[in-house]
Amino acid sequence: VSEKGALVLVVEDEPQMRRFLRASLTSHGFDLVEAETSREAMALATSHMPEVVLLDLGLPDEDGVQVTRRLREWSRVPIIVISARGRESDKVEVLDAGADDYLTKPFGVNELLARIRVALRHSRQIAGAPTPVIELGALRIDLTRREVTRAGERIHLTPIEYKLLTTLVRNAGRVVTHQQLLKDAWGPTYATQTQYLHVYMGHLRAKLEAQPARPRLLLTEPGVGYRLAAE
Amino acid sequence: MRGARGYLWTIVFVGLVTAVGLPLRGHLADADVVMLYMVAICTAAARFGRGPAVLASAASVLAFNFFFVPPYHTFRSTDEHFLLTFAMMFAAGLLTSALLHRVRQGQREELRSALLSTVSHDLRTPLAAITGAGTTLKEGWEALTPPQRSEMLDTICQEAERLERLVSNLLDMTRLEAGALSVKREWVPLEEMVGSALARLESRLAGRTITTDLPESLPLVSVDAVLFEQLFVNLLDNAAKHTPRDTPIEVRARSSADGVEIEVADRGPGLPAGGETRLFDKFFRGPHTSVEGAGLGLAICRGIAHTHGGTVTAENRPGGGSLFRVQLPLSGPPPSVPITREAEAEAGVS
Repeated sequence: VSEKGALVLVVEDEPQMRRFLRASLTSHGFDLVEAETSREAMALATSHMPEVVLLDLGLPDEDGVQVTRRLREWSRVPIIVISARGRESDKVEVLDAGADDYLTKPFGVNELLARIRVALRHSRQIAGAPTPVIELGALRIDLTRREVTRAGERIHLTPIEYKLLTTLVRNAGRVVTHQQLLKDAWGPTYATQTQYLHVYMGHLRAKLEAQPARPRLLLTEPGVGYRLAAE
Repeated sequence: MRGARGYLWTIVFVGLVTAVGLPLRGHLADADVVMLYMVAICTAAARFGRGPAVLASAASVLAFNFFFVPPYHTFRSTDEHFLLTFAMMFAAGLLTSALLHRVRQGQREELRSALLSTVSHDLRTPLAAITGAGTTLKEGWEALTPPQRSEMLDTICQEAERLERLVSNLLDMTRLEAGALSVKREWVPLEEMVGSALARLESRLAGRTITTDLPESLPLVSVDAVLFEQLFVNLLDNAAKHTPRDTPIEVRARSSADGVEIEVADRGPGLPAGGETRLFDKFFRGPHTSVEGAGLGLAICRGIAHTHGGTVTAENRPGGGSLFRVQLPLSGPPPSVPITREAEAEAGVS
């Protein structure tokens, strides 16, 4: 995926932070528009149609969670939250409101670029044809044939395990909240039964990971959700 | 709850004084009886603070008036100098509670300033390195060789990371102490928390041999997954900091009748002599001052274990090294996850 020329909307009221983002993103070939308030952000999102939004939560006029909800009413643009709020409940709230990813300040530029790449790949995939086969190291997931193999050997998954895996695969590289996974695999009535999820993720790890206690693929974001390692 | 108990004890004190004084009525001078009540008032003020002090004064005045001032068993005091006595009783109560309040505040203040000086030192050290490297780069860009420049940049990044760790440790500690940490218990497999702790420390543990022994039969534990991951991160980080790079670290867990026990063991130099419990005190630092850190990691571990009704202890290992053990009591039977693998498999598989 080439990210050259992709337009990033940066919504951030802290000038130093904008300066860092401007320098690092433009030097990596991105184009940038900047907003300091939620009002500016909404205006720029409408007029410029950015490909990615970097959103700070603590804006002077409105909370970023609110901005996320309003953007999601009409746009599917990937939203990556960048915030100093590190509490898990804050992450869950904005992710469930429709944000795609969450980076806690402070973060390094590599981390940021990796997340932007994932977001772009994901949104362009939705627009184009979906990838039917995903390869992660020795693991191969064939979505059309509903088949998972490791080093050529077929791995037997139960329907729920398969469902969990495909949800994570569709969101590869992004954190998927407990609630989203529970809804996808078990249905909305199970949205609070996190122990099901933990147990089944354990099963999945036992089948897919070389060392289940040191996972490389199915990563845990404690208190938030799970993430399939993207690269 | 605690407040109500204070008031209750106050009434008991005044009642006791009255019970002691009553048989001696007529043999004791008024002043002696007043002194007895003063004891009750000051005790209440010292133990329970201003509210109970006021109650003690009022109850004492009433009891003294009723039982000891003629005419007995009425609240009719005719003598004016008793008014002064009453006023003195109130004043003593208020004064004692106010003084004590100030003493306690002083102690808190002392603790706070000790904390501030440690913290500001630990914050300043990485900041000094960042400022130094930053200004060196800014002022001497031309004069520096490219390797020197990248060295300065490495310093800035590393020290900023150190600062970040320190700040988040301080925040955790403060929240734990203020009791502001809401513990969100859920049923989680230990393996998952150990796994994510190891993942978080990946770069710090790079090159280490790490063995995990987590039997499949371990029950789910009811803990706050975020806090418990932090506990494991701190224990592992502590082991990584205080042991040579080429020594192994082991993580083991087993379940017993009364709970789950998790051990993090290393083959390093072992515990500092006499430090087995002081280790977990805030700002305690090992004998090697070259090791970075503010002495908060293990204190946070203890705080997290305690908020879950558990303990964390340390001991020397036979054969060298130290062992940290987390004991977590069972909190009810783990929930069953109704659809077993087998049942689901029979329902039809991909």
